[in-house]
Amino acid sequence: MLQEKKKQLEYERLVLVYSDDLFRYALWRCRDKSMAEDLVQETCLRAWKSLDKLRDVSSSKAWLMTILRNEHARLYTRYQPNMVDMELDTVSLRDTDNDTSPEAFALKQALAELSEDYREPLLLQVVGGLSCEEIASVCNISKSATMTRLFRAKQKLRDVLRPEDGQVGA
Amino acid sequence: MKCNEFKFEYIAAPNEIAGDACEHLQSCTACQAFVEQQATFEKQLAEVIHCDVPEGFRHSVRKYVVNHQSSFWTLPKSSLALVASLLMAVGLVNVYQSTTGEQGLPLDRLVVEHIEHDGIRSMQASHRLSDIQFAKVTQQFGVKVKFANEVSFAEKCPIGNSYGLHMVYRYKGQAITVIYMPELSPKTMLPFNYAGLKGWVKPLRKGSLAVLAGTTAELPKEEFADQAIEWL
Repeated sequence: MLQEKKKQLEYERLVLVYSDDLFRYALWRCRDKSMAEDLVQETCLRAWKSLDKLRDVSSSKAWLMTILRNEHARLYTRYQPNMVDMELDTVSLRDTDNDTSPEAFALKQALAELSEDYREPLLLQVVGGLSCEEIASVCNISKSATMTRLFRAKQKLRDVLRPEDGQVGA
Repeated sequence: MKCNEFKFEYIAAPNEIAGDACEHLQSCTACQAFVEQQATFEKQLAEVIHCDVPEGFRHSVRKYVVNHQSSFWTLPKSSLALVASLLMAVGLVNVYQSTTGEQGLPLDRLVVEHIEHDGIRSMQASHRLSDIQFAKVTQQFGVKVKFANEVSFAEKCPIGNSYGLHMVYRYKGQAITVIYMPELSPKTMLPFNYAGLKGWVKPLRKGSLAVLAGTTAELPKEEFADQAIEWL
């Protein structure tokens, strides 16, 4: 019973510290608020069930992000949404109410248009605060590939804001 | 290291710059200017990516898991009470009466650590909680809180190896944090002042009360603790 209580407290700590970031990450993956909420709930339920497997508390965040990523992939094998043409601001940005300046809109649009390979590491870095090594482990790629993807993703986004800036070779 | 190599590393991972890249940055004015520009971009990017989290989301996540798993939380309460009584009888339960928590941290450190995780969110609430909302939380602790009319935030939170009643209370026009911890208590009054926070933890008849705020805020005197909580 004491073990159960310890597990329960550890779980609550994870929810307390990481649920907001998980939601943000989920929202960018799903682009729908209620789907993102469901996804985080499923992620947390799965985390609770396999909490015993979390050996290193310092890697909790990467562990949770990995679960969320897997859950998202699993949900998409079951759920195939009807694809319809909709304006970007009603799809990718639905239910988000942050910066609405033209620059922010252009950046959001560019982010939404980035390929999954580029967007994924970027979100894990900016939303999750993960290191390149952690991102590499979540995405199952090498650290150098992670750095290259991050670099290219940011270059693409930066070009949207300041296309006149010189390119940095990589 | 060449400027292009530095820029590649900095763009990819601005928070992980070390070694050669650090040395290069210190000696290259062009890269110093680049870092400033890039920092503006990173800030813009973060603002675009970070979105608001729905109110009460964390609570709904906790509730969802409680409703969907079948162990501790869903065992019949009578069974829990029986197991607890048996454990008490054979002396296996070591309730935390001392100054340390699960991680071996002093009680004031546990409180500060919790605020470091949850402080910003808890302080964001600006409206007074309704009596019903507040009672829903306090009744989980079997207490009545005397300063209910000035509370803007109340939540059951994990503190160390147990739970605490985390409240934000408006005192002399400023928001301060008050945490009732029924299972944790220092032996004597425990004042602290570090990590940009000051406060105290006072042992009560059952558990303890922590009061804390930023170092410039005015805190109530320790007598506040004696009048704050009434056990039901």
